[in-house]
Amino acid sequence: MKPAPLCVVLAGLAALLVAPPMVSAQAPKKTPTVINPPPTAQDWADIAKLPDWSGVWNPKITDQDAQVKSNPPPWNEVAGKKVEQMFAEEKAGRPRLIFANCLPEAHPSWMLVTHNAMEILFTPGRVTMLGESDGNRIRRIYTDGRGHPEASDPTFHGHSIGHWEGDTLVVDTVDILPQAPLAISEAVGLPNNGDMHVIERIHLAEKDILHDDLEIIAPKILTKPWKTTRIFFRQRARKFDIVEGVCATGDLAERVNAEGDHIFVPVEKSEWGHTTAVPTK
Amino acid sequence: MRQLMKSIGALAAMALLGAGITQVAAHHSASMFDFSRTAAVKGSVVELRWVNPHVTLTLNGSSSAGEAPAEWLMETTSPGNLVRVGGWRRDAIKPGEQVEVLFHPLREEGKKSGLMRQLTVLATGEVFKANIREQEMPGLE
Repeated sequence: MKPAPLCVVLAGLAALLVAPPMVSAQAPKKTPTVINPPPTAQDWADIAKLPDWSGVWNPKITDQDAQVKSNPPPWNEVAGKKVEQMFAEEKAGRPRLIFANCLPEAHPSWMLVTHNAMEILFTPGRVTMLGESDGNRIRRIYTDGRGHPEASDPTFHGHSIGHWEGDTLVVDTVDILPQAPLAISEAVGLPNNGDMHVIERIHLAEKDILHDDLEIIAPKILTKPWKTTRIFFRQRARKFDIVEGVCATGDLAERVNAEGDHIFVPVEKSEWGHTTAVPTK
Repeated sequence: MRQLMKSIGALAAMALLGAGITQVAAHHSASMFDFSRTAAVKGSVVELRWVNPHVTLTLNGSSSAGEAPAEWLMETTSPGNLVRVGGWRRDAIKPGEQVEVLFHPLREEGKKSGLMRQLTVLATGEVFKANIREQEMPGLE
């Protein structure tokens, strides 16, 4: 490889010297030429200036329930008819399996309808959300100033970049798989069908109450952006850790075979997802 | 080799279909259960499946005096939620223990199955709750 001219090297060094240190209030800027740089002691010290989001956060499910009626998404005509049918099926006791095959609830449905806990980790240049159930998987929010990639590579949770405005984390997410559902309950939701864009403002509303203010732009199924707030609560005095949850084990029973090996064997499920028979030991 | 793998895959799929097994593990709605009714069954624990996203309990018991004991299958929320809302553990109850279960029955008539809301160990009186929305109540700090 041809060595870089001396002037280019000096210019690079000068740019590093004048670059501002990482601070808690970051504004989006151009994609840096080097990403994932080794964190400095100052980067770690800056983490201490961020708000305390440690601990286990549980979703306020009763508020999710209430918003199904009080704050429905502005579905377009086609989507609205499908949603109406899903409500009817759920009411009749035949709930649609919109999260079948243990696929992730995906973004933003994880935030919207999860019944499980999560924890949030701060490291230099990153905020990471870890769900309790693997149906929720993980969200990586880059706070190092990078932009979204030019080449789209859609995933369940999309590509998220964030910056701090005071104690509020502002997150912008694109490149979400078109198959990812926009769900308002575990039985009602539709594939977003592409071009979904989610903007979030995540902040502490009270000492142990976290709000995720979402604006969801899904032009293939909504007539206009949909705004909703999802609430998570923390119970500091209760000693709870995240419990590992592997969704596929819901299809399986723990057994010991004739050779004495501990194995998993299938159980039977209904088309709506509940367990209908467990093999005897 | 690729052809061999395809053949094995096809055989495995046929075997599953033959066994009547539907592979649809998922987070699912509970609307197949009748929330307007709560019933009780007393019996002997067969197995607690400590699995995600829905724990199951199998027990042998009766829902009313004089009813012949039969096998019942209860479903409930995830291990993590049971730990938080009801103090459950994987070994909270053991096979053979006598318990009483409160549950919302399946809407489908004649099925001995339901959504478990509470379990009481009869020997000790210990109660394990299983309604995740109850953990939102104030005063739990």
